[in-house]
Amino acid sequence: MSMEPRVKEWKFMLKRVRETPLALAGVAIIIFFILIALLAPVLAPPTYSDPFKIPQDKEIYSLTPNPTPPTLTHIFGTSDQQYDIYYACIWGTITAFRVGLTVVLISLIIGLILGVAAAYYGGILDEILMRFTDIIIAFPGLILAMALVLAFPAAIPINLSSIFLVVSIICSFVIIMARSDRKLLLVTQMIVVAFLVSYIYQPIVLHLEITNLDKVLFAIAIVGWPGYARLIRGEILRVKNEDYIEAAKAAGSSDFRIITRHILPNTIYPLLVVVSMDVGSIVLTAAALSFLGIGAPIDYADWGQMISRSRAWIRNPEMLASNFHTFFIPGLFITLFSLGWNLLGDALRDVLDPMLRRR
Amino acid sequence: MTDEEILEVENLVVRFYTYEGIVEALDGVNLKIRKGEILGLVGETGCGKSVTSLSTLVLVPPPGSIEAGKIFLKTQGKKVNLLEQDRETLRTVRGSEISMVFQEPRAYLNPVYSVENQISEVLLVHRKEEFLKRAIETIKKKKKGSNFELKLYQRMLEKPKSLTTKLLSKFTSKRTLKMELHNEVVALLKNMEIPDPERVAKMYPHELSGGMAQRVVIAMALSCNPKILLADEPTTNLDVTVQAQILQLVSLLRKNFQSSILYVTHDLGVVAEICDRVAVMYAGNVVETADVFEIFNNPLHPYTKALLESIPRPGKEFKSIPGVVPSLIKPPRGCRFHDRCDFAMEVCRKVKPQFLEVKKDHFVACHLYGGSK
Amino acid sequence: MSTIIQTENLKKHYPIYGGVFKKKVASVKAVDGVSLNIFKGECFGLVGESGCGKTTLGKTIIRLFNPDSGHIFFNVPDDIIEEIKRIEKENPKSRRLRRLLEQYDAAHFKGENLRFLRRKMQIVYQDPTTSLDPRMLVKDIVAEPLAAQGIAKGEEAEKMVVEILRRVGLTERHLYRYPHEFSGGQRQRIAVARALISRPEFIILDEPTSSVDVSVRAQLLNLFQDLQKDFNLTYMFISHDLSIVECISQRVAIMYLGKIVELASTEEIFHNPLHPYSQALIASVPIPDPTKRKARAPITGEVPSPVNPPSGCRFHPRCRLAMDICRRNEPRLADVGKGHFVACFAVSGEKR
Repeated sequence: MSMEPRVKEWKFMLKRVRETPLALAGVAIIIFFILIALLAPVLAPPTYSDPFKIPQDKEIYSLTPNPTPPTLTHIFGTSDQQYDIYYACIWGTITAFRVGLTVVLISLIIGLILGVAAAYYGGILDEILMRFTDIIIAFPGLILAMALVLAFPAAIPINLSSIFLVVSIICSFVIIMARSDRKLLLVTQMIVVAFLVSYIYQPIVLHLEITNLDKVLFAIAIVGWPGYARLIRGEILRVKNEDYIEAAKAAGSSDFRIITRHILPNTIYPLLVVVSMDVGSIVLTAAALSFLGIGAPIDYADWGQMISRSRAWIRNPEMLASNFHTFFIPGLFITLFSLGWNLLGDALRDVLDPMLRRR
Repeated sequence: MTDEEILEVENLVVRFYTYEGIVEALDGVNLKIRKGEILGLVGETGCGKSVTSLSTLVLVPPPGSIEAGKIFLKTQGKKVNLLEQDRETLRTVRGSEISMVFQEPRAYLNPVYSVENQISEVLLVHRKEEFLKRAIETIKKKKKGSNFELKLYQRMLEKPKSLTTKLLSKFTSKRTLKMELHNEVVALLKNMEIPDPERVAKMYPHELSGGMAQRVVIAMALSCNPKILLADEPTTNLDVTVQAQILQLVSLLRKNFQSSILYVTHDLGVVAEICDRVAVMYAGNVVETADVFEIFNNPLHPYTKALLESIPRPGKEFKSIPGVVPSLIKPPRGCRFHDRCDFAMEVCRKVKPQFLEVKKDHFVACHLYGGSK
Repeated sequence: MSTIIQTENLKKHYPIYGGVFKKKVASVKAVDGVSLNIFKGECFGLVGESGCGKTTLGKTIIRLFNPDSGHIFFNVPDDIIEEIKRIEKENPKSRRLRRLLEQYDAAHFKGENLRFLRRKMQIVYQDPTTSLDPRMLVKDIVAEPLAAQGIAKGEEAEKMVVEILRRVGLTERHLYRYPHEFSGGQRQRIAVARALISRPEFIILDEPTSSVDVSVRAQLLNLFQDLQKDFNLTYMFISHDLSIVECISQRVAIMYLGKIVELASTEEIFHNPLHPYSQALIASVPIPDPTKRKARAPITGEVPSPVNPPSGCRFHPRCRLAMDICRRNEPRLADVGKGHFVACFAVSGEKR
C-alpha cells in the first residue's frame, strides 16, 4: 500500500519530463555527456599512466609543431605541439563534470549554511553575515579568483584536528538548530568530543597536494557562494512567517527539523535552477582562467586549455581558416555542455517541485 | 424594461478560457435593477456574483469573455445595450453613470497619490467642463486668480484638443481650478461622514484605516453622481462595528443621491439589513429574485431555503448543504443544483429550468414551479 | 468545573524601534494584562475586532509567542497557584518562587517542559491554505507532531494518521496527496487532524471557519462539536463572527485593545451585555431578518491603534457612559454576579 503511490509518483515525474521538449533536450544532452565521461577509457584509451595527460603524436611532431586539420588517425585534428584534440575533448568531459559539480557543491554548502543561518535567526547574526557577504561580492570575481589561485599554497598539511575543527564548526551550527532534537544533539556532541581528543593526539596525517586546477575550483567556489546565500536568504525571509512554519513550531519541531523539512523544500527550487545554470557557466569561467594561463597545466585534458592554446594560431584570416578546428570543436563541447545544464535546470525544477508537478 | 428599471441584464453568458478548460462562469443571468433601489446579489464563493457586476461595466478580465446576452442601461431616456457600445462610450459610462466599489479598498487606491489627488482625477475625467466653468466664475466674481488663468480656462473650454492648449495647461499652475476641485473633494468626504475631511484629503492610502479607505473609495465612486453603484462585498473585510456604519451610510446615500445600488455579498444578515430586493445566485445562474421580505419569509427555490436554514442559530444544530458546488468546467446538465437538492426530480437532471415570474415580482428558476414551460 | 487554563495578568508587547540607533520608541500593547479562567471541557469564545489582541492572546497562551509578563497555569491545582501568588507578593525574588514557576508556570517553561506542553496544547489556523506546508504530503503533515515529539514513527505513525483522518472525515486515499489538491473545507480537516494527533487537551481555534464557504462552515462546526465530545477537548474559539460564537461557545470574553472588557456565559453576554462596548458590538451584528433593521449604527469612530491607547479605560473616548474617572483610571474586571464579569466603572459601580 505505501510503495505503490511512490512508484506512481516517479512515473508521473518521468511523464512530465517526456512532455516538455526542452527538458527532454536538456536531459538528452547531459546523458550524452555522461556517457562520454563513463566510456572515456574505451573511446580514447589513455597513453600515459595519468589519463588526463594528452598524448602527442611524435611522428607528425617531427615534421611540424603546427596544428594539423582532422584526419583519420586524429579525428578532430591536433593542436600545436601535436596534442590530439579528440582525446582532449573526451577526457575533458570528465574534467568539465568535475569542475562544475565540485565548485557548485562547495559554493552551495557554504552559501546554504550562511544564508539559512542569516535568514532564519535574523537579528545581528543576519547583519554580520550579510555584510561579510557584501564584502565578498564587492571584489571583482575573476580577479579575486586569479588572486586566490596565485596565493594558494602548493600543498596543505592536514591532520586530524583540522578536519575535526571544520566538522565541529558545522556541528556547532547544528547543535544550535537542533535544540530539542535529542538524537542529533547526541551525535554532534560525540563529534565535538572526538575533536577535543584528537587535539591531544596529533599525528601529521598527510600533505594534500593541490593542483592548479584545484586551486581554480576553490577560488571560483569562494567567489560564487554569495549569490546562493543571498538567494536562499531572500526565499527564506518570504517563507519564514508563513502559518505552516508556526504550526510546525506548535507541534514541537526543533529548528533543525523546521529548516530541513519545511523551509528548505519550499525555498530551494529557485536555487536549483540557478545551480544547474551555474554548472554550465562555471565551466566557462574555468575555461577563461585556463585561457589566462592560471588554470589547468599545459597538457591537461581540459576544454578551456585547448581553446587557450589555439589563441596563437588564429591571428589572421588564413590562420583562422586552417586552424578553425583548434578552437571550434572544444568550444562546441563547452557550449553544448552549458546549454544542456541550462535546460536541465528548468526541467529539474518542474519535475521535483511538488506544486508544479501536479497542477 | 419598465419605467422604473434602469439596468437590465438579459441572458448573460460569460466564459473563462483557462488552461484547465472552459469555465462556464455565467449561464444566462437575468437581473433587473430599479431606480433608487438596493438590490442584493447573494451567493457563495464561485457562484459568479463578482463576474456579474464586472460584466455590467464590460470589465471582465481575460481569459474571460462575454459570449452572449444583453445589458441594457437607460441613459438619457434611451435604452442602450452596453455590450454593443464602443470603448469611448463605455469610458463615459464608467465612473459617471455606473460606478464600482470593491472589497479591499486599499488595493484599489494608488499608494503614491493622495486621496485628494485621486478623487480629483475622477472629477476631471467626467466633470471637467463644470469645474472649468466654476473656476471661471470664481475668478470673475471674487477677483481671485490672474487674468492669465481666466484666459487659459476659457481656452480649455473652447479648444480643448489644440496642442497649445494642452501645452499651456500642462505647465501652468491652475491654482483656481485646483481650489475648486479641493472644495468639492472636501464636500464629498464630509458627505461620507469622514471626520476632519481637510486633513484626510491630504492623506495617503496607507495612512487610512479600512473603514476610512472604504469611505474614500465610495466618495470617489459617487463623485460623479452615478445612477448605479456596484458594490462588490465592500464590508466583508471590515470590523462589524465599522460595517454597521458603512451600511448606514449606504442607506443614506440611496436617500440623498437617489442612486440604485447593486450590493454583492455572501452575508444574509447584511442583505436583510439594507436591501430592498434580493437576487440569489448559484453556480452561474440567478435562481430566485424577490422582495427582501418575501425571500426571508417565503423562499421558493430549494437552494434559497437551504441557504437560509444554514444560518447558525443558537440552540439548533448546524445545518449545511450536503455535497459541494459543482465545477463549472463541466457543469452538470439540467439544473445545476439538482445533485444537492432535496426535491430533485427526473426532469431536473435533464432540462435547465427557466427563470419565470411565479408570483408578483417573485421570480424563480425551478421545475417545482413550472420551470419547464 | 475544574479549571484547565488560568492566566494571571498576561502581557505581550511588541517594541517599535526608531531613530538612528534603533532604540525602543514605543510598543504595541497587543495583550495588556489579561486574567481569565478556562474550564475543562468547555468551548470558550473570544471575540473582538481587529487590533484587539485576541489572536495574540491565544498564541501567547500556547507559547507560540513568549509572554512579557504574567502567568499561564495549565492543569495546576489551586493551592499551588495560591502559593505562587502569595510568595510573589511577599518575596518576589525568592528562589523557591523561581523553582515553582519553572515547574508550574507555562510562561516560564523551557526545554523538556515546553516540549511536553506542545503535546497538550494545539492550534488550528484560520487559513488552511497557508497553514499546511504546500510541499509536504498529507501523511507527513499530519504525522509531524508524532515525529517532532518522538511519539511514533514509520508504520505505527502511519496507522495513527489513518485513524485520525477517518475521525475527521477523510480516508486513506488522501494520504499521498498534496494540500493544493483539496478543497478549503478538506484542508481545514487536515489541519484539525494534525492538531488532534498528539491527543491534546486544549485546542485554540483561530477563526477556523472564516476562510471557508458558508455551506462548509456548518460541517466544520459540527465536526468540532463531535470531536470535543469524543476526545474530551477544551476549545478557545477565537472569532469576529458573533453569530457563530453564540452557537458554539458556553462562555464568551470580549476584548478591546488588549484587555478583556466583559466575560460571561454565552446567554448572559448576548441577551444582557453590560459593558457599553459589548452592547455596541452585539448591536452592530446584522440580523438575517428584514423586520429587525437598525435605525442607526450603534457606535461611531474606529478602534484606535494599540500603539498609543487612550489613558485610563481604553474605551472612554467612544463611550456614551464615560465619566471623569474613566479618563484617569483603568477599571478592573469585577464580578457582578452569576459568573458575569465587567470592566467598567459605570456598570460595576466600582470606585477606585
